[in-house]
Amino acid sequence: MKNIYKPTEAIIEGIITESPNIKTFVLRPKVPFEFKTGQFIELTLPGIGEAPFTPSSDPNIKDKMDITIMKAGEITSLLHGIQPNTPVGIRGPYGLGYPLDKFTGKDILIVGGGVGLAPLRSLLFALFGSMDKYNKVVLRYGSRTANDIIYKGLIPEWAKLDKVNMMVTVDVGDPSWSGNVGLVTTILKDLPVDLNNAAVIVCGPPIMMKFVTLKLLDLGFKPPDIYLSMEKSMSCGLGKCGHCRIGPYYVCKDGPVFTYEQLKDLHDIWD
Amino acid sequence: MIKIFYIKDKDLPFLINSLCADYKVFSPLIKEIEGEKTDYSYNRLFKGDIPRFSAYRAVEPLKTFFTSPLEKVSGYFKEGVNFREPEKIVIFGVKSCDIQGHKVQDFVFLEGQEKDSLYRARRENTVLISGDCTDFKNVCHCLAWEVLPHPTVGFDLNLSPLNDGYIVESGSDRGEAFIQRYKDYFVPAKETQVLARKAKRESFIERLRKHLLPQGLVSKAEVQRLMKDGYSADTWQKFMLTCVECAGCNLICDTCHCFLLSDEKDRDEFSRLKGWDCCQYTNFSRVAGGANPLKTRTQRLRNRFIKKFDFFIDNMGIPACCGCGRCIEVCPGKIDIREVLKDVKDKVSRNK
Ligand code: SF4
Ligand code: SF4
Ligand code: FES
Repeated sequence: MKNIYKPTEAIIEGIITESPNIKTFVLRPKVPFEFKTGQFIELTLPGIGEAPFTPSSDPNIKDKMDITIMKAGEITSLLHGIQPNTPVGIRGPYGLGYPLDKFTGKDILIVGGGVGLAPLRSLLFALFGSMDKYNKVVLRYGSRTANDIIYKGLIPEWAKLDKVNMMVTVDVGDPSWSGNVGLVTTILKDLPVDLNNAAVIVCGPPIMMKFVTLKLLDLGFKPPDIYLSMEKSMSCGLGKCGHCRIGPYYVCKDGPVFTYEQLKDLHDIWD
Repeated sequence: MIKIFYIKDKDLPFLINSLCADYKVFSPLIKEIEGEKTDYSYNRLFKGDIPRFSAYRAVEPLKTFFTSPLEKVSGYFKEGVNFREPEKIVIFGVKSCDIQGHKVQDFVFLEGQEKDSLYRARRENTVLISGDCTDFKNVCHCLAWEVLPHPTVGFDLNLSPLNDGYIVESGSDRGEAFIQRYKDYFVPAKETQVLARKAKRESFIERLRKHLLPQGLVSKAEVQRLMKDGYSADTWQKFMLTCVECAGCNLICDTCHCFLLSDEKDRDEFSRLKGWDCCQYTNFSRVAGGANPLKTRTQRLRNRFIKKFDFFIDNMGIPACCGCGRCIEVCPGKIDIREVLKDVKDKVSRNK
């Protein structure tokens, strides 16, 4: 009898500090655990509670999984305090993830904000694994300050890849930063992307997603081509507990990735 | 083939006695309140107890038998923490609105990709013996949602009082087997008895209709449209004023299914708990970072209605309201679901 509420055990093998308030936890599940890029898991801090996270690692790696976590609430703060070799619980994967098949043959524009780059890193790994299927990948990433940029080592490597075009900006500049300064929307001009053959994937804080979406529509991108990662309060991840409703959908089961076409007529989607 | 039987009044206690040997039996018993108003509440029946046929639904929703305000649903990281097979129970005196409301619980916990096996085991171990309503409460409005005051599906056995006994209809294989097993108590119903049941049902529906007609209730056909067009109506703000956020309306509702998982540690044992949650609570939709899309009572009241009359119609094809009126009785703020809907309709038609 399968118990849908029961987590299985995983060990935190390593902890990487990405920024002052963001860490990546490397998990090794005790039983094999597969996920599709963009799907999420429920991570249990034993005896304390659960929270949903989208893995940031390559979905083709089956024995390990990275979860990049920003300190935001009670559980994430406690997670930031744990040591390697701590056992944690996992349930999932849940949700539909990114529809990679729909991206085939397209110019893929990825817009990330802050810790929103975490799920996108998993997507990028998945895309880079079969770049022959896609025309190009254009990445636009915005972070609050230079110090808040995550995956610092990876970004320059990605920029060197064939068919990849990327730009990073920070909201607030400082002497250590010689790149773009301004909100991510300011680097969404002159995009090397064919409007009529594009898939745009956006992930970041709700306010950033809102303004990026408005900007994209302004630029002429079409609602069915804009994919948004929605964030709502979640408990079960199973489409049962009722917390994550947005219009006729549950974010956990019908998302977390939605096209703007699915959302555009719903009320208060950015709240 | 529908099999219809008859059981005599005087045989009912014997049947219940036999049942008590194999099942935990629950039945609504009268609890008199303030002399006039009669309420029924589920109680355990023991050998020798005499069941009473209830005129209308009990105070408690049916969900109390299948989910809990708070219970352990899993231990983890240790093998062997598993659940005993749930007890076999019989619930006697279930009404049509209970069954309708419970369709929503079944949809949530038994449908979709992930199924709640504890819920399923409880459901499978429960025999539902329903009954026609012979009277109604002031708040009853099943007919508004096209739910008849006698069960037509979803029961194992249904009892319709007639003369000195009950017409018994089986509504499932289990009901069928049940009649076989306790066949001494049942005789096949005569055609005249079945016709008499029909007449009795029709006259009761007529009585209920007369009670409801002057209320001018919102209908099933128009309610979803009203949720869409009335999203910005001031109804929500107006009715919210007396809401004290007790969540009684959620807790007593047979369709409200929301829950929250939480974790506990007792020495080195980890437990996962599942407890009812309520969208009328301030933090229902608050995320870890602090954002809360249902910050205000206005938003939360509207959420309750949208979930019932928009979301569930989209996802399940029926509104998540069975017209039992429990939320009306329970609300200390005197917020009446019927009045809220009528007000939305009023505001929407005025804006046209
Ligand atoms: S709402 Fe209808 S079915 Fe329910 S108790 Fe009242 S009359 Fe009976
Ligand atoms: S029962 Fe009434 S007062 Fe209590 S939460 Fe519901 S609407 Fe508010
Ligand atoms: S998280 Fe429980 S329904 Fe989506």
